[in-house]
Amino acid sequence: MPYLHADPLECTGCRICELSCAFLHEHVLNPKKARVRVVRREEGQDIPVACRHCEKPACIEACPEGAIRKVEKTGLVVINQKKCTGCTLCVDACPYDAIFMHPSRHVAINCTLCGFCVKQCPVRCLEIVKGE
Amino acid sequence: MKFKGYAGLFLHVNLTTGKLKKVPLDEKLALEYLGGAGFCSRILYDRIKPGTDPLSPENVLMFATGPLTGTLFPQASRYVVAAKSPLTEIWGESHAAGHWGPELKYAGYDAIVVEGRSAKPVYLRIDDDAVELKEAGDLWGKTTHETDDILRKDMGDPYVKVASIGPAGENLVRYAAIMNDRERCAARSGLGAVMGSKKLKAIVVRGSKDIEVAEADKYLEFIDELQKRMLAHPFTEGRVKYGTTYLIELMQEIGRLPTYNMRQGVFEEYEKISGETIRKKYLVKPRACFSCVQRCGRYTKVDKGPFAFIGGSPEFETQSSLGSRCGVSNVEAVLFAHYLCNAYGMDGISTGATISWAMECYDVGILTKKDTGGIDLSWGNYETLIQLITMIAKRKGFGDLLAEGSYRAARKIGRGSEKYVMHVKKQEIAAQEPRAQKSMGLAAVTAARGADHLYAFPVLDEVSFKDTIEERFGKEYLPEIADRLNPKYKGLMVKECEDYMVVVESVGVCKYGTQIPPVYYYDDISKALKLTCGMNVSEERLRLIGERIVNLNRAFNAREGISRKDDILPERLTKEPSPKGPAKGQVVELEEMLREYYTLRGWNIESGLPAKQKLLELGLGEVAEELEEKLLQVTSPTPRKKPPGYG
Repeated sequence: MPYLHADPLECTGCRICELSCAFLHEHVLNPKKARVRVVRREEGQDIPVACRHCEKPACIEACPEGAIRKVEKTGLVVINQKKCTGCTLCVDACPYDAIFMHPSRHVAINCTLCGFCVKQCPVRCLEIVKGE
Repeated sequence: MKFKGYAGLFLHVNLTTGKLKKVPLDEKLALEYLGGAGFCSRILYDRIKPGTDPLSPENVLMFATGPLTGTLFPQASRYVVAAKSPLTEIWGESHAAGHWGPELKYAGYDAIVVEGRSAKPVYLRIDDDAVELKEAGDLWGKTTHETDDILRKDMGDPYVKVASIGPAGENLVRYAAIMNDRERCAARSGLGAVMGSKKLKAIVVRGSKDIEVAEADKYLEFIDELQKRMLAHPFTEGRVKYGTTYLIELMQEIGRLPTYNMRQGVFEEYEKISGETIRKKYLVKPRACFSCVQRCGRYTKVDKGPFAFIGGSPEFETQSSLGSRCGVSNVEAVLFAHYLCNAYGMDGISTGATISWAMECYDVGILTKKDTGGIDLSWGNYETLIQLITMIAKRKGFGDLLAEGSYRAARKIGRGSEKYVMHVKKQEIAAQEPRAQKSMGLAAVTAARGADHLYAFPVLDEVSFKDTIEERFGKEYLPEIADRLNPKYKGLMVKECEDYMVVVESVGVCKYGTQIPPVYYYDDISKALKLTCGMNVSEERLRLIGERIVNLNRAFNAREGISRKDDILPERLTKEPSPKGPAKGQVVELEEMLREYYTLRGWNIESGLPAKQKLLELGLGEVAEELEEKLLQVTSPTPRKKPPGYG
């Protein structure tokens, strides 16, 4: 399945991807509204985390509202924000910690693979790859 | 708050009473002082009474961001921390980048004002609107790295940001730093000791609020253009490759590399501690601060041996202070020494400079093993360097004396050791041997926080950005102004650079990109304030604000008894010709440059203090009244009354 990926040693952790993502989708600057987040870990790793659009998504199974589905044609995991009640079960279920709660609308958000952050990354380390 | 870009609130913390208060940001303050350094200059001038003991509950410690902090403006990662300095007993200010400042704004606060003193160690926990003081007994004594680990784990969130002090701040080392995001450092002025004196161990922040943008439709296009200009600048490639570590090579080439406590400006073994050596053998990766395309931060690893570690690498300042300045050429020891300074929370510049002062005293026989408790202080003894850093942070043995800084240590030792103290106003001179770059000599002298290269940061003549000099100052001052060995027009350069740099530190962006490389200037900041905040601040107004802040900083110092008599360099730099290297034979022609500087500033040439007319022009009438009295005292020969407990 396609997903956003970067080498944790190539990524510098500047978080321009986060700001760009939030600004594109929400017209404000706020990393907590971004669909991609950079986790800084010691031993020098900066890891951009975003939805992996899994083959068998744990989030779909966890959602009691049926608000998450996998689009067959594109392989993308899509969250219906109208159906989402903000229960956070999908957030807990995600093995990659890659679904986030929107801080003001209180619904789950995930990466839509729009590719904007790929374009904005100053070190060009982000790419959309096809995974298993 | 009318303006976008700002968070809109000040958080007031009284550690004595435990009271927390949120106050809306005053629009007038934003228009007159912008943010960051500007906010601190005004609020602390009003809040800190002259003569206040810097380590008493009466000192006020302030953290402030700017309107551009946390935005997409390149390098908009900065925050300012200020208080009266325990090292200099005058204006204390320090800056750091990383991710903590932006997080504070995302939590909803432009600034934190801390007063009083807690009875027990505490830390401040900010989680958007929820703010509380929590007990920090278990954290007291921990290194800054340990504190960062523990607090992030406690919050159960890898995204929270921590600013903290280490053992050096707790033990009131006079050049203790405040560390954030593990490796970023508000190092100078000893503000970590102020935090320690207040028993405030850390400030942990998590924020999830918006920073709104005034003209969102034009914003991304503007940011794209700014980022492209930076990435296209010929200087950027080297910055990406080396950070600032390559300055070892460049400064050796111009004879400006402080060596053996600034006896000279060249180091025979410079290649061993060079940027190239670090890149080839120890670099893991470049690591950026928030919203930065230049990524000068280095992440390094020493695999094995006594100096094994993984973490942040020194930039040029600490690399040379702990290296060439002490004659140390063991690069792994230099890297590890820097790592220790960060862990203990200590300014690497003053640490290296104070040790190098002791080494010179040992070299000339003023200090012996009797004084040092058996420690061999020979030049280049890297084991001593490592040993002393821990002893200073913990105030053990001979380290207790060095924890006072070189100025106070020399006063205590006497025996002629005073003349080897490389300081201005009690703060150690940073890694610019000014005999090889005259503008840096003047900058160290006029800076508000005592010896300092960053207040003016006059780097334009360092590797000669001639085109920028022409653009910013005008053709008529060339070629002299661009000649680093020529004192002519350096008063002009330092004055203009100071005004600009305080504006840069007020809006919350980095000196890299605004001064070196000189990509952005007043016009870009004016435009950024318009598009981000919806503020109409012309270039002319920005210049006026810069001048206002510099004058207010000077007024703060004047109230503490500072005047022209304190605007001096050590005699080594003004009277002893540089002994070798490309700057051989040079001295700093300070008087000539100072006269030009005071004149352009509109300051009285005899007192070095702002003239009434100048303060009135800047809208500082009430400051003028207060200073008038001071001016009379300075011109009459009454000695200055010192606050109790300081000598």
